[in-house]
Amino acid sequence: MGKILAVHSYKGGTGKTLLSVNLAAALAKRGKKVALFDLDFRAPSLFAILKINEASHWVNDYLNGACEINKVLIDLSSRLQENGKFFVGLANPSTEAMRDMSAKDRKWEMRALGNLLALRNTLLTEGGFDYLVFDTSPGLQYSSINAIVTADLVVVATTGDRSDVDGTRRMLSEMYNLFEKKTGLVLNKVLDSAKSKKDEMSRKVQTTYQVPLLGFVPCFCEILRAEGNFIFAQDKPDHPFTKILDEMAKKIETDDVK
Amino acid sequence: MNTEELLGKKPLYLLEKIKDNLERLNEKMEVMIELQKHGRKDIQPLPDASLDVMTLLSMPDHLRKTAMTICRCGRATAEEISQQTARARAVESAYLNQLVIMGYLKKERKGRKAYFYADRENPR
Repeated sequence: MGKILAVHSYKGGTGKTLLSVNLAAALAKRGKKVALFDLDFRAPSLFAILKINEASHWVNDYLNGACEINKVLIDLSSRLQENGKFFVGLANPSTEAMRDMSAKDRKWEMRALGNLLALRNTLLTEGGFDYLVFDTSPGLQYSSINAIVTADLVVVATTGDRSDVDGTRRMLSEMYNLFEKKTGLVLNKVLDSAKSKKDEMSRKVQTTYQVPLLGFVPCFCEILRAEGNFIFAQDKPDHPFTKILDEMAKKIETDDVK
Repeated sequence: MNTEELLGKKPLYLLEKIKDNLERLNEKMEVMIELQKHGRKDIQPLPDASLDVMTLLSMPDHLRKTAMTICRCGRATAEEISQQTARARAVESAYLNQLVIMGYLKKERKGRKAYFYADRENPR
């Protein structure tokens, strides 16, 4: 049975989209059938990162009950050099769609949760997908909490910034704990990433956040220089970032997040 | 219906009918016990109840666990929910019935089984 991953964070700019895209690509490169979904309806970005100019149907349409999920999925498997399957479902980036999504009421959100939960059956059980990866909006957003409730594992991206540390800690204890969600923390943009520091960092994360460390990502200038033009896991197979993401994918695959 | 009929042809039917009624009575008593235990204030019917994630977050812990499980299952009996939450069937039955009273869930009987579900099409 496949798994649903939600990538979330307290603050924006922590690297959720970078992690989501590369984690999904890393899992696909390991031979898995993966679908990546943009659930950041306030600021959609996957269409730009993946350089897809046109989509006939959006995730918005699926959540609105206007189409089946198969219409939303775009097959990008040919972009991978490996055997895996890589699909993507995009959020509609038009201003009108963003406005429409921000004005939804509780009843709509309740139906949206039902539609997200239904993906477990349509894609994991019937569609043979191994992983669904949800890229979410930061903070306490309806769409993000819907994704968290649906997920089997929540990957939380955080940085060393004081405001992020404190907010993430509260979010984990006051929200994730209530939902009893399995969580793995990714410490991103780490400045001192020497191997000798790894154990110390892991202990610190456990003490501070009370959740296991899925991995830490050093601050790579190449990622900033790439300006979102590369999927590292796909275009730069030998880059250290790609290797770190592959390690995380391996941990997820072997259920070694503890 | 004479004594012969009662004893000869329909005893099983009658026993099942009695068992059904006892089960319904039991469920009602479980709800009453829960109402006593947790006070009435959180078990009032809500005019605008919908089982969305913010509602789940604000629920008392014991009800959230049941509500989350029914969200995942879609439609289930108290027995099925109790298998997932590792709590007693009677306890889940009471919590499910509380959620029905509050307007978050709907209940439907099919034969001797009672199914609970969140009505996403027509929430109250």
